[in-house]
Amino acid sequence: AKRALATPAIRRLARELGVDIQTVKGTGAGGRVTEEDVRSAVASQVS
Amino acid sequence: MVVGEFTTEVDVLVLGAGPGGYVAAIRAAQLGKKVMVVEKAEVGGVCLNRGCIPSKALISAAHRYEEMNHSDDMGLTADGVKVDFSKVQAWKQTVVGKLTGGVGSLLKGNGVELVQGEALFVTPNEVRVYQGNEFNRYKFNHCIIATGSRPIELRAFPFGKRIISSTEALSLPEIPKSMVVIGGGYIGIELGQMYAKFGCQVTVIEGTEQILPLFENEIVRWVQRRLKKDGVTVHTKAKAVSAEQTDTGVTLKYEINGEQKEITADYLLVTVGRVPNTDELGLDQVGIKKNERGLIEVDHQCKTNVENVYAIGDVTAGPALAHKASYEGKVAAEVIAGHNSAVDYKCIPSVVFSDPEIASVGLSETEAKEQGHTVATGKFNYAANGRALSLNANEGFVKVVADKESGIVLGCQIVGPGAPDLIAEMGLAIEMGASLEDIALTIHAHPTLGEMVMEATENALGQGVHTLTK
Ligand SMILES: Cc1cc2nc3c(=O)[nH]c(=O)nc-3n(C[C@H](O)[C@H](O)[C@H](O)COP(=O)(O)OP(=O)(O)OC[C@H]3O[C@@H](n4cnc5c(N)ncnc54)[C@H](O)[C@@H]3O)c2cc1C
Repeated sequence: AKRALATPAIRRLARELGVDIQTVKGTGAGGRVTEEDVRSAVASQVS
Repeated sequence: MVVGEFTTEVDVLVLGAGPGGYVAAIRAAQLGKKVMVVEKAEVGGVCLNRGCIPSKALISAAHRYEEMNHSDDMGLTADGVKVDFSKVQAWKQTVVGKLTGGVGSLLKGNGVELVQGEALFVTPNEVRVYQGNEFNRYKFNHCIIATGSRPIELRAFPFGKRIISSTEALSLPEIPKSMVVIGGGYIGIELGQMYAKFGCQVTVIEGTEQILPLFENEIVRWVQRRLKKDGVTVHTKAKAVSAEQTDTGVTLKYEINGEQKEITADYLLVTVGRVPNTDELGLDQVGIKKNERGLIEVDHQCKTNVENVYAIGDVTAGPALAHKASYEGKVAAEVIAGHNSAVDYKCIPSVVFSDPEIASVGLSETEAKEQGHTVATGKFNYAANGRALSLNANEGFVKVVADKESGIVLGCQIVGPGAPDLIAEMGLAIEMGASLEDIALTIHAHPTLGEMVMEATENALGQGVHTLTK
């Protein structure tokens, strides 16, 4: 499987927030996962 | 005091003060833990005392010596350049001393307690620390095993006066007249070439087809050419059979193309790999799992199969490199402190301080193709870089490997002076998911060696300015 395209800090953030970054849809350039993407993934998990 | 009666309790007990152990200890202390480190030898571990640092110090001295003798191209000649090897050794030792002293102060400054002695597990929550026959007990909530590795000793070549490991090779009192090196990995090549530059007659015996087998042939060729100039004889596909040592030298019997040969030298340096220090820790006693090579099995958080026991660095699988050990040390400390950290890197750079130097990160062209990428590559030669020429350093190249469709950078290989520092940019690029364009559009200062990285990416995009592509 291809690994999500995200910077080290975003990967860490996702882990800390309990999000599997592989399941997050990236909205950044070329499908990059952004901080916003991670945070909204958390929000949708909670609701 | 009755021996063994004294028991101390700590939150985090770290076994070993190498680049894995001391970094783990400091990080855990930063996160508010009460930490104790047990070290049986010197603070700083192999890297600072018997590895990275002393080897690089000797290599720079050898380089300096070579440049003093061979700068006539630039109009500089020197007569009667002398080496005082005992002073070289003394200087190297002050470098080591400064750094190990620094680690000692960092541990202290972070409130980490250092205990001298050899640790042995007795229960999953307790170790004994021996100083000679005496021991004390230490109970812990969490333990990080960071006991590192040692040179492999081959049965046919037992270490002794004249058959030596990298440790002794770093501390020889004088430059040997001749040396045979078994094993053409990075340690053997670095040390062999260093002594050759100091005038030692060096012969390398390597079993596989190529020295530095982890690097591609197009890179290794440059080093081979240089080794030849330095007077190093390299025998590949050669098998060391037996050796006889006397007080003054050693004779090695080896086989090449089915022929028996023999060579006599002052020293035989055996650098065929390293074994993890996991055999005398009492791991079986407490059921900590190792694989058949003695490496401790860990998960992505550096946890062993035993609750609250972690392992990092050379005692675990993966490249036996200092920066890998330190990275894992931070992860283990953070996990212990309750963070959801994990080993999560895309690449680890590996460098060889040969002449010319080598550095590589991420995927090679072959590996990228094997993983199903359509590959774009770009190369830039030192011979076309202004800074390289002004340094009189025109041997080598930078090569970048990217995924052709997305342009995302997958790897980079560099051979040439400065490669170990140049590779850092591409490590960052890979971690950030940078594309060829991201690097090509980043302004690199002129004239610098770093421009070659930019220009190699431009070449991969087919828009290099300083390379004729037709
Ligand atoms: C010649 C040479 C050159 C090298 N050059 C490089 C280089 O340029 N770059 C690079 O990245 N790597 C290099 N390495 C590899 C690097 O040194 C190791 O990968 C690194 O030191 C591993 O760190 P560590 O913390 O896992 O273990 P170590 O550095 O091995 O430290 C382990 C420590 O644990 C102690 N210990 C062991 N058993 C016990 C016990 N039972 N109780 C208490 N203490 C114990 C040891 O005394 C030691 O101090 C080199 C190695 C060698 C030999």
